[in-house]
Amino acid sequence: MRLIVGEGSCGLAAGAGAVHTRLQELLAEANPTGVELGITGCNGMCFLEPIVDLYDDEGALHRLVKVQAKDADKIYQAATTGDLSLVDGLRISAEDAEFLDKQTRIALRDCGIIDPESIDDYLAHGGYQAITKILAEGMSQENVIHEIDVAGLRGRGGAGFPTAFKWRAARDAKADETGQKYLICNADEGDPGAFMDRAVIEGDPHSLIEGMLIGAYCIGASEGIVYVRAEYPLAIIRLRKAIEDATARGYLGDNILGSDFSCTLRIKAGAGAFVCGEETALIESLEGKRGMPRLKPPFPAQAGYWLKPSNINNVETYANVAWIIVNGGAAYAAMGTENSRGTKVFALSGKIRRGGLVEVPMGTTLREVIFDIGGGIRNGKEFKAVQLGGPSGGCVPASKLDTIIDYAELSATGAIMGSGGMVVMDESTCMVGMARFFLDFTAKERMLEILSRVVDGKGEEGDIEKLEELCYAIKDGALCGLGQTAPNPVLTTIRYFRDEFEAHIAEHRCPAGECRELITYYIDQDKCVGCTACARQCPVQAISGERKSPHKIDPTLCIKCGNCKTACRFGAVQVR
Amino acid sequence: MSKQKPSDLSLIEPVLDSYAEVPGSLIAILQETQAAYGYLPMDAMEYIAKRTGTPIATIVGVATFYAQFRLEPVGKYLIMLCQGTACHVNGSELISAAISDELGIHDGETTPDGLFSLEHVACLGCCSLSPVMMINGTTYSSLTPDKAKKVLRSLAAESAEGGASA
Amino acid sequence: MSIKYTIDGVEVIAEPSDTILTSATRAGIEIPTLCFDKRTAIYGACGICLVEVEGVPKLLRACSARPQEGYVVHLHSERVDRARKTALELLLSDHTGDCRGPCKLNCPAMTDCQKYVGEIREGRYKDAVSTVYEAFPLPASIGRVCPHPCEDACRRKMVEEPISIAFLKAFAADKIEADGDPYVVSCEPDTGKRVAIIGGGPAGLTAAYFLRRYGHAVTIFDQQPKMGGMLRYGIPEYRLPKAVLDRVEMINGVKLGRDIQFDELRAEYDAVLLALGAWRSMNMRVPGEDLAGVHGGIDFLERLGLGERPTLGERVAVCGGGNTAMDCCRTAVRLGAKEVYVVYRRTRAEMPAADIEIEEAEEEGVTFKFLTNPIEFYGENGHVTGMKLQVMELGEPDASGRRRPVPVEGATEDIPVDDVLMAIGQGADCAGAVAEELLTQRGTIACDGMTFRTAYDNVFAAGDVTNRGAGIAIQAIAEAQKAALCINNYLEGDEVRAQVPYFVTQEKTPEDFEDEPKQKREKMPGLTPEERRDNFEPIYFGFTEEQAQREASRCLECGCHDYYDCRLIKFANRFSVEPERFAGEMHDREDVPVVSEVIVHDPDKCVLCGLCYRTCDQVVGKTFLGLYNRGFSTVVNPMVPEEARTFCTSCLKCVEACPTGAMRSFPAVERVTQLV
Repeated sequence: MRLIVGEGSCGLAAGAGAVHTRLQELLAEANPTGVELGITGCNGMCFLEPIVDLYDDEGALHRLVKVQAKDADKIYQAATTGDLSLVDGLRISAEDAEFLDKQTRIALRDCGIIDPESIDDYLAHGGYQAITKILAEGMSQENVIHEIDVAGLRGRGGAGFPTAFKWRAARDAKADETGQKYLICNADEGDPGAFMDRAVIEGDPHSLIEGMLIGAYCIGASEGIVYVRAEYPLAIIRLRKAIEDATARGYLGDNILGSDFSCTLRIKAGAGAFVCGEETALIESLEGKRGMPRLKPPFPAQAGYWLKPSNINNVETYANVAWIIVNGGAAYAAMGTENSRGTKVFALSGKIRRGGLVEVPMGTTLREVIFDIGGGIRNGKEFKAVQLGGPSGGCVPASKLDTIIDYAELSATGAIMGSGGMVVMDESTCMVGMARFFLDFTAKERMLEILSRVVDGKGEEGDIEKLEELCYAIKDGALCGLGQTAPNPVLTTIRYFRDEFEAHIAEHRCPAGECRELITYYIDQDKCVGCTACARQCPVQAISGERKSPHKIDPTLCIKCGNCKTACRFGAVQVR
Repeated sequence: MSKQKPSDLSLIEPVLDSYAEVPGSLIAILQETQAAYGYLPMDAMEYIAKRTGTPIATIVGVATFYAQFRLEPVGKYLIMLCQGTACHVNGSELISAAISDELGIHDGETTPDGLFSLEHVACLGCCSLSPVMMINGTTYSSLTPDKAKKVLRSLAAESAEGGASA
Repeated sequence: MSIKYTIDGVEVIAEPSDTILTSATRAGIEIPTLCFDKRTAIYGACGICLVEVEGVPKLLRACSARPQEGYVVHLHSERVDRARKTALELLLSDHTGDCRGPCKLNCPAMTDCQKYVGEIREGRYKDAVSTVYEAFPLPASIGRVCPHPCEDACRRKMVEEPISIAFLKAFAADKIEADGDPYVVSCEPDTGKRVAIIGGGPAGLTAAYFLRRYGHAVTIFDQQPKMGGMLRYGIPEYRLPKAVLDRVEMINGVKLGRDIQFDELRAEYDAVLLALGAWRSMNMRVPGEDLAGVHGGIDFLERLGLGERPTLGERVAVCGGGNTAMDCCRTAVRLGAKEVYVVYRRTRAEMPAADIEIEEAEEEGVTFKFLTNPIEFYGENGHVTGMKLQVMELGEPDASGRRRPVPVEGATEDIPVDDVLMAIGQGADCAGAVAEELLTQRGTIACDGMTFRTAYDNVFAAGDVTNRGAGIAIQAIAEAQKAALCINNYLEGDEVRAQVPYFVTQEKTPEDFEDEPKQKREKMPGLTPEERRDNFEPIYFGFTEEQAQREASRCLECGCHDYYDCRLIKFANRFSVEPERFAGEMHDREDVPVVSEVIVHDPDKCVLCGLCYRTCDQVVGKTFLGLYNRGFSTVVNPMVPEEARTFCTSCLKCVEACPTGAMRSFPAVERVTQLV
């Protein structure tokens, strides 16, 4: 019997650590034979965390979900006695299991399966076969790049630039007398709502290392750098161990696998700046400077890190590379659409029933991802929009749910593929508030001010037009890609939800009932049972009423904190 | 910022010994310095300037650019409240209000007893468990205002106990 | 290999190392930019140098984009202009200060008061007079008679009292006169164009002055024996700037419509300016107005001006509350009237006359009868002996914002009078002088407020005669100044309109000046009321030199020191910005950081072009300045302990590099570095 605890950041946040500790204690006490305890990274089913995978002696998987520390004893019993009926109550439902069944996993192929802290486990799952093949067969740089080209792999971090094109440019760029070129991995993953890069590093760090090695080989770089966000401490720990292990086994360092190819890898921890997701800003930051974007040209391929030719891709892009080399570019290209090949990972979150990481072939519709895999909206509410691509992307409404996942098709909606964040919103999310949220992120001060007054009910006629004008001016005038796309969330919300803007401005009304200045809390006298829970939570004593009789909110005292609504178990506290 | 006690500069000697000559290490040096002091004391930055030959203007410029760096000391528990999209959609604003209500501090502030600091941070990448906060490396997920308050109270109690036994 | 491409149709040759901007600059084509300086690395922050290239979907930054063979570059497409304008508006929405001081902005003629006050402080009187002459040609007289709106706006009054700007101007003019060192103005070469000006008052003379400076031949016609118009004896001819007006033909004693004909002038001259003034006293339309002893105020003053000494009875009533009423009542005192009343239907607070005039009239013994309105004059043997006054009270505010006087029913008052001077307003009297189609119903000349053009292309009007009505002299002068520009533009075939430039302004409150040391306004030596009430001697003696300098040193210097070097305001005007579109919260600014003993940085004016710190870093090699924080809260700041400031050697390169007035030195330096 093997017990594998899912210990990505999500799992740990949900309490996997306590489960692991308890299992470890029990095992240490009795020291039973035939029961192993191990860990794995995130399998993407965040909504079911913590997850324990129990493999029986036949190797069959029994997935136990929403496991708490108190369940550890039961699991231990089951594992030691072989009586798996003990854990029947923890088993994943057939419906939830479909979450994984409907996916095609390439970048996430090992995530949630292997032990991320074990290079042997990676090797056992076919790891380092690609770099071994390249070096052993003496594949030329061009042959390798050709395979990537055939695969049609495009950058998975945002703009979707063809990877082979970038690699060729960096390979062809003339290095100075030192001959130094750099291969950089953008693991800054700054787009809120996207966490697949974290999951890959935490769950399968060697696949990133292998992808980077192949990239470095193709462009002739002898040094690779992974720029990881400071907010991902676990990823840094696991990647550091993976680099040490790979170096110890000769997959990194001088004369890798006995070839002429030498390459080292190191980690740079970011220090928290959204703009550093932009490649030239990232390079500035790598050099220890303020992360301000550089003017292009020159492009990093000509003059990047320390002005040497450099190539930058993100984690997910590199994570696809080894699979393509092993299985062939054609196999990858067989999935997806004409100009968007292969698969893409999405991070599903928001008001979705089954939130987590999803990898699907390009060409899948948004509806399939959100409803078939994600299970649709939770709590029986209506789907309103999905935010794609973070602060550079946009909000796509219900009418566009049949759009297929394809760089061009998604761009046509006004959103972008981006790094794959999919934040789902229901009827209770104010779209003006959403637009404002993203401007807070990208620090577009003047637009932020306009939207702030709109959500406060102080919008003026002409504000929508003023916003649009600023959006176009920023698109025209911005220095970097992030700046040019920063207006997208505003433009798409205006495009699809103009009526909500107008309701805020003309009627001082928030249709979603979310904008504090525009709403009133009240208690439905028919639903209130007089439990006093709300009154006890009210910080300003605005709620009055006798025990067991309906309560009332004094709107002149109410500060609209929402505590009462959260506290009410009868749905009696409402908003208008 | 001149009122602070002089810092024990020997704490960062090892960092400077290994990084002072390595170009592009400023952020790493500052990260280690912050790890040593909990924040970036001005005298430490001046010392870094002296040892590395980097102008103080450049150092403070970098220190103020990145959200991670702090020029003032923080509390024993640093609450990093996620401001990601999913957390926003799932009510991180209510969590922020609950923390402010419980501790009387807002983004960027520290409680007078020096126990808690609150910092709004960019996405922590736990979107499917939103809203989340991270306190001294531990992530708390699927928060409600109530749950957030309970976490804070238990940390305060833990600290009081630790203080008594120490 | 050099590259050939075009900018706005002009062929430009670029070397491989060139950007669009550097190659354009070499070809003599200016591309606007705030953040580029060839001595520093390309930065690309300001977004002003955007250009459109045919076939390139995005706008390019000329500072960084490399031209390619055959590029067709446009500096001014609709898209570029819009983007550039928005970029400037966004910069301006967080840029605050005073381009020009409130004194200058409140002067109808936009006289640069701060500049000449500063010149007087430094003893450069001739420069001071020359500064005034940039705005109008009559400093000595305007210095005496102007009700100085400049002083009303002066922020020194938030400390204690405004600067004595008007008297300082008169001082400088008198001083260079006395020193025998008159100011000489130079004129453009003759254009061969001829302009006729009807009316030799402040407007006519001012217009003549400017038109002559533009190089046009000017003839002034005036009906009076001497030039000067309403300011006749305030403007002795010998004080007019000789080099200019010497060559202006002045013809006195001719009246339009009587001695010369409008149509003939129009045919004979390239342009005609009507500056006839407003010489007709308004009637009150009450019974008994035609009695002997009831005079028009303006007519009365005119007779005085022509040298007459009209005799008045012992009791004189003056109707009205404006400056003309004050002139009338104070003249009546001087002519020996024993009791002089001013009858005004509102209260003192609403009086349009200058405060000082009212005060001095009171000192001279004038009795003010507020809240009364004449409803009848009566008399014996055809001569007025008394007047009936309706008692008034103040009601709701009217369109002018002043509370409307309303009669108190049944309350009247009788006062015995020997003479009445009506000074309730004055109107133009152009009937018969010019073509009918130029006139309004009220007999004034209709002209456009921006172009000063009448119904006829080559006929312009300015001053009291226009449909805007009579005002103070400096308003007429201001109109003449702009009208002269419009006439010049017309004669040169340009767009006629006089542009009102855009200025950045800010509001201040007394709290802003709490730390300013107090220094009282200099007291003007002059005659006591007793000494002045029986004669027409000038009542002020003028400042001594010492006093003038002391007074001038009180100036707070509100206007930006870098106005003339400021590229932001230059572009703002060139691209017709409307910054109020994006007005919003300004930076959360701290105190003005001191850079060194002689340099301060003003974050209110900083546009974050980075030139100061980049120059310090890349040109000087000091890296003393830096950028702090991120996004909207970014500031340039030497945020280091005080002792570290010894780094700065005050080379002032940062001050020179700054495209706005954000980096400042003490004393202000002349900029020597040629940027770009």
